Order: sequence, then structure tokens, then C-alpha cells
Amino acid sequence: MLNIVLFFLVTSLVLYVVLAGADFGAGIVELFSTERSQLLTKKTIYRVMGPVWEANHIWIIILVVVLWVGFPNFYNVLVVYLHIPLTLVLLGITMRGVAFVFRHYDAYKDKSQILYDWMFRISSLITPIFLGMTAGSMLSGRLIITDNYEAYSFSEVFINPWLNGFSILVGLFFASLCTFLTSILLIGETDASNRKIYIRKSKYATITVITMGFVVLCYGFIYEVTFITDFIKSPYTVGFVILSALLIFPLLQSIKHAKKVLSRTLAGLQVILILFAAMSAHFPNLIIASNIEMNLIETAAPSHVINVLGITLIIGGLIILPGLFHLLKSFKMIKVLER
Amino acid sequence: MDNLDAARLQMAFTLIFHIVFACIGMVMPFFMVIAHKKWLKTKDPIYLKLTKSWQKGVAIFFVVGAVSGTALSFELGLLWPEFMKHAGPIIGMPFSLEGAAFFVEAVALGFYLYGWDKIPEKFHWFTGVIVGISGVASGILVVSANGWMNAPSGFDYVNGEFLNINPVQALLNPAWFTQALHMTLAAFTATGFAVAGIHAYQIYKKRQVDLHKKAFKIAITFGAIAAILQPISGDLSAKDIAQRQPVKLAAMEAHYETTKGAPLYIGGIVDEENKKVSYKIEIPKALSFLAFGDFNAEVKGLNDFPEDVLPSVSIVHYAFQIMVGLGTLLMLTGILFFISLKKRTWWQNNTFWLLFTLLAPMGFIALEAGWMVTEVGRQPWIIHNIMKTKDAVTPMPGMVYSFYMYVILYGVLTVAVTWLMTRQIKSLNQSKLA
Repeated sequence: MLNIVLFFLVTSLVLYVVLAGADFGAGIVELFSTERSQLLTKKTIYRVMGPVWEANHIWIIILVVVLWVGFPNFYNVLVVYLHIPLTLVLLGITMRGVAFVFRHYDAYKDKSQILYDWMFRISSLITPIFLGMTAGSMLSGRLIITDNYEAYSFSEVFINPWLNGFSILVGLFFASLCTFLTSILLIGETDASNRKIYIRKSKYATITVITMGFVVLCYGFIYEVTFITDFIKSPYTVGFVILSALLIFPLLQSIKHAKKVLSRTLAGLQVILILFAAMSAHFPNLIIASNIEMNLIETAAPSHVINVLGITLIIGGLIILPGLFHLLKSFKMIKVLER
Repeated sequence: MDNLDAARLQMAFTLIFHIVFACIGMVMPFFMVIAHKKWLKTKDPIYLKLTKSWQKGVAIFFVVGAVSGTALSFELGLLWPEFMKHAGPIIGMPFSLEGAAFFVEAVALGFYLYGWDKIPEKFHWFTGVIVGISGVASGILVVSANGWMNAPSGFDYVNGEFLNINPVQALLNPAWFTQALHMTLAAFTATGFAVAGIHAYQIYKKRQVDLHKKAFKIAITFGAIAAILQPISGDLSAKDIAQRQPVKLAAMEAHYETTKGAPLYIGGIVDEENKKVSYKIEIPKALSFLAFGDFNAEVKGLNDFPEDVLPSVSIVHYAFQIMVGLGTLLMLTGILFFISLKKRTWWQNNTFWLLFTLLAPMGFIALEAGWMVTEVGRQPWIIHNIMKTKDAVTPMPGMVYSFYMYVILYGVLTVAVTWLMTRQIKSLNQSKLA
């Protein structure tokens, strides 16, 4: 049953990264657009994301609940030591969600739109950065896990672990990954005359992601971040990375020829490969602190709890997935893929 | 302000905020689908107008409720890591089911909001019903988790460890039913009266009277029925608390001396230092009867509990008085509404509309006061008789800054949503229909 719980954990992580990632990317693409294409992007993302964006973000709640129920000690380390970046993520999620509905449901479309737009764009950029920073800090090797808080200063325990070069780079990497996903998604959602805009953006985004990924690896290598040195050594990781590197060529081709389905599939696959590479490098030790490595599996709750959680997740999944699939299908997200 | 106080205030503040949005987000869909049903049946365009405008309200409240709920799901761990470490596995079930219900709600809402003229009419309407049902289910599940904090069950507590965890038994803890019933009725009462009050004000101001009367009638019917049923549920809760949390009951009633045939105090000023209540109205033997169904039953007083397990008596007592007082007022006006259906001349009288306008916030004040009774009344425990709140708080210092941040954030959001709602109503009134 532990495997089923892990499956749901990884699935909700992947879905959150891909779906919410594309959602964050929407705001970032809008931020980095000229005024004319900003309006176009705003309209397009409302049409594409509107019906599904709330559902996209629920994956993080599922993720959090599975963590706290199934792996309480692991979750405990995150909420105690990464309190500040997680709070900033929440601030971003709140501003973003609110700005999104405000700009579409305000009864009058007047000057206040400018405020909503900027709130939406900026929070779309900072939220994935802080999310990435949180993930980066888990693996940065700089967390100090201790019971003796007196022995350390506030910044040693609660700030340095996440406010450092490596974590910031991971944050920026994740934000560029989100932009990459959305710009490719938008190619297929706009009419022929505007397609060029997103094809160009997709190319830039692809190049940025590759560059950022490379910078993260180099930084980690130079400063000997354990996670990165292990990342480079692991055969699985290298395999995933080579595969994703090879897929970049067909991806660029399919972007160039505006092939919607293929480029979307390849883009999604890229993200999944990167995630798997990162996870397989050090699984199951997913928290690498300065003094200890924390094994996710070893922090699992008693087997009875895991069993009940597994069953609940299966039942929940059976209720949710058909509805969600139907929703995506009805609003053409999948129809495009079927064509 | 020390860390514990700041964390408690932040939790209280975010919950006070979230509860309003969550309640409206879970109850308003019912108003919306009734109006929608009437549109489908009568094809009266007023109902369509009303449905669409309520739908915007639902969307805005749902999202603010959803994001503040997401924040809360993190805050449980961020503020109370020690609590979540032990309680997480035990009360995970209501939370994971709540996650599923919430997911269903979001999917259904996606269909409903974006499905006009795109999906079959009846299916479209039905997705609105699912929004409401799954919203209520979410609410019940979360309250069940809170019930567990009052009535911990589904584990053995041996030498500070939680063993033999049974998540199903924890979900169905002894407090879940009475609390969930009380809260669901409260949500319907509060939202019903709030929405009805807003429309009553428009009628009072003679704007789009036809439309607002239809809206008023739908909202107040829900609110009034719930308000009339609430005392029954309140009685069940009181008897339950008398059994399980006698110290909370004693604090609610500011009952200091253990007595047989205990009187019920209404109002009064609590003097915690001298353990006295002055200026109260006293009803002989009523407390014994309400708590145990026996006029001569013994009710244990606060003096017979150790000092270190007493909650703040004045806060709990005052909050309880506010809740019961306003609840009674809403029940009476609920009855008044049903009488007004027979005496339609009342609807011509502007005082009638002024009355309901003034009542608009009362349901929510009562609801928040009720939560203060249950939460402050549980202190100093986070898990009743098992773990103290001070032992659960985060070791990170400086929580006061986090508290200030949330006060500013949610303060701004409250102002923004209120402003947005007034714009919705203004635009509705300016529209050509009716």
C-alpha cells in the first residue's frame, strides 16, 4: 500500500508541476509581452485556463495532505525550517488567485483592471520562484535540523537554508520551466495570425530553460552541492537528462512547424523527465540537510494509517478523475490532443 | 506579544476570515441553483439575471475561500508543527476526503461557470447542485477534524506516544455529528440572512424591487428554516459538551460553584479574579436541565477544575451569550418571515426591509462567536486533555511579523471583496431588466 501512496504523491507532484506550472507561466508570459500581445495573452489564458485553473491548484493540497498524513516527520521538517519561503508561496498563491477572479468578475472593466493585471503577473512570477526555492532548499544541504535552537542564530536556521545562490537558481529555473510550458501550450490556442508570437516566445523559453538548467548544474558542481554531485553520478539521472536533451531537437522542430499536439506532449515530457531525474538522483533521501539526510520512506506513518490513506486516495481518485477528464475534454484541452 | 500568542492570533484571524468565505461559497450555490431552476421553469428573464449575478458572487467567494483554505492547510503545519506531526496521521482521513470533495467542487464549478450554452441545459444545472453538495461535504469533513480536537479518539495514548491509530474512528469521533450539524445550520443561517439583508437593503432603497424581492425570498427561506432548526441542534451540542468537556460548559455559563439544580445565567459581567458574575439574569435550575435533562442534576463548577486547565472564562462566556442571543433573534425573525408570507401587506412596509437589512451581519457575528466558544473554550488544549497548545507551536521566533502580514493581507482582501460586491450590485441595478 505504501507504493500506492507514493504513486499518488508523485502523481500529484507531477500534475501540480505541469498543470499549475503552466498556470503560473501564463502570468509570466503576460509579464514579458508587449502591450498588444499582453491583451491577447490575457484573453487566451482566460479562455484556456478559466475553467480549469482552480482544479490545477488543488494538486498541491493533495500533495500536502498526503505528506502530513503519510510522512509526518518529513512534513514536519519542511514546515518548521522552510516556514518563511512557504509563507511567501502562500502570499503569492493568494494574490494570484484573487487577481485572476477579480479581473474577470469585476462588474466594471475600468482602471482597476491595471492593478489586477499587475498583481496577477507579478505574483505569477514570484510564486514559482519561491516554490522552486523551497524545493531547492530541501536539497541544498544547508538546512540545519536540530532540537537545540539556542545554539544557532535565527538566520542560520530559518533564512540561510533558502536564501542562498543554489536555492535562488532552482527558483529561477522552475519559473522558466513554467514559462516554457505555457508558451508552448498557447501556440495551439491562438489563431494562425498570432501563432508566430508564441512560436517565438516558445523558442526563447526553451533556450532559457536549458541555460538555467545548465547554470544550476554548474553552480552546484562548483560549490559542491551534494545533491548535484550525486545527480551527475547517478546513471538513472544521466539517462533521464540525456533523453530530455535528445527530445529538445524534435521539440524545437515541432515548435517551428506549430505542431500543437506533439509540442505539448514533448514539453510535458521534458518537465516530467527533469522531475524524475531530480527525484531519482537521491530517492528516497529527499531532504539533504547539512547534518543529516532524511529518508522519505523511513518517515512513513504506521502501516494501518498508510493503508487507510491508500484506500481513501483510490476512492477519491475514482471520484475525481472522470470528472476532471470530462472537464478538460469539454473545454477542449483534450480535444486538441485527440485531433 | 510572545510567539504563542502571535501564532494563536494569526490562526484565529485567518480562520475568522476563511469561515465567512467558506460559508458563503458553500451555501450560495444553493440559492443560485434555485434561481436557475426557476429560470428554466418559468423562463422569466429576471431569474436568469439573478442566477448570473449570484454566480459571479459564488465565483469570487469560492476563490477567496479556496486560496485562504489553501493557506490554512499550510498554516496548520507552519504554526503548529508538533500538533500536525502527531495528529496528521490520525485526522488525515477527513482532510484527504475534504481534498477530494473540494476537487469535485472545483471541477463542477468549472463546468457551471463556463458551461452556459455549451453543455446540455439540465446537466449544466446539475453541476451547480454538485457544487453545493460537495461544498457542504467539505465543510462537514473539516468540522469533523475539529471535532477530533475536542473529542480525541481513534488511538491509544501511551507514555506520550500515539499508538494503534484508527483513522476511521478518529473521523467518526464523538463530537463530529453535533458539531457538523450545528455548523451546517449556522452556515445556512448566516449566509441566508446576509444575502437576504443585502437584497432587503436594495428594496428599502427602491432599486429594482421586483428582482431583489425574488432574490430575498430565496435566500431568506434557507436562512429562516436553518435558524428555526438551530436551537434543536444547539441543545444536542450543549448536552454533548456537558458530558465530554464539562470545563468548557462551565466557562460558557461562567459557572464557578459546583451545584445541584444549577441556575442558568443570561448576560452578566464576569470578574475572573474574584470568580463572580454580576448583573446577570438568573433562571433557577435551568442549567442543570439544559445540560443533563434533569432539574436537579449536579453541574461541576470552574472552581473544581485545576487552574492550569481553565480557558479564558470571560471570552467564552461573552461569546456564548452573543451567539445564543443573536441566534434567538434570527430564529424569531425567521418565524416573522414565514408569517409575512400570509400577510403580504408587510412587504409594502419599508420598516420590514429595514429590519432585514439590519440583520444582515448578525448571522455571521453569531457564527464567529460560536467558533470562539468552541476554540477558546478548548484552551489550553490543542488536543483536549492530550496536548497543550503551547507545546504545539512552531519553534521559529518572530511569529508576530507573520501575524501582521496576514492582518494586512486579509484586511486588504476584505475591503477589496466588499468593494467588488458593491460594484456587482450597482451594475445589477443599472441593468435594463425589470
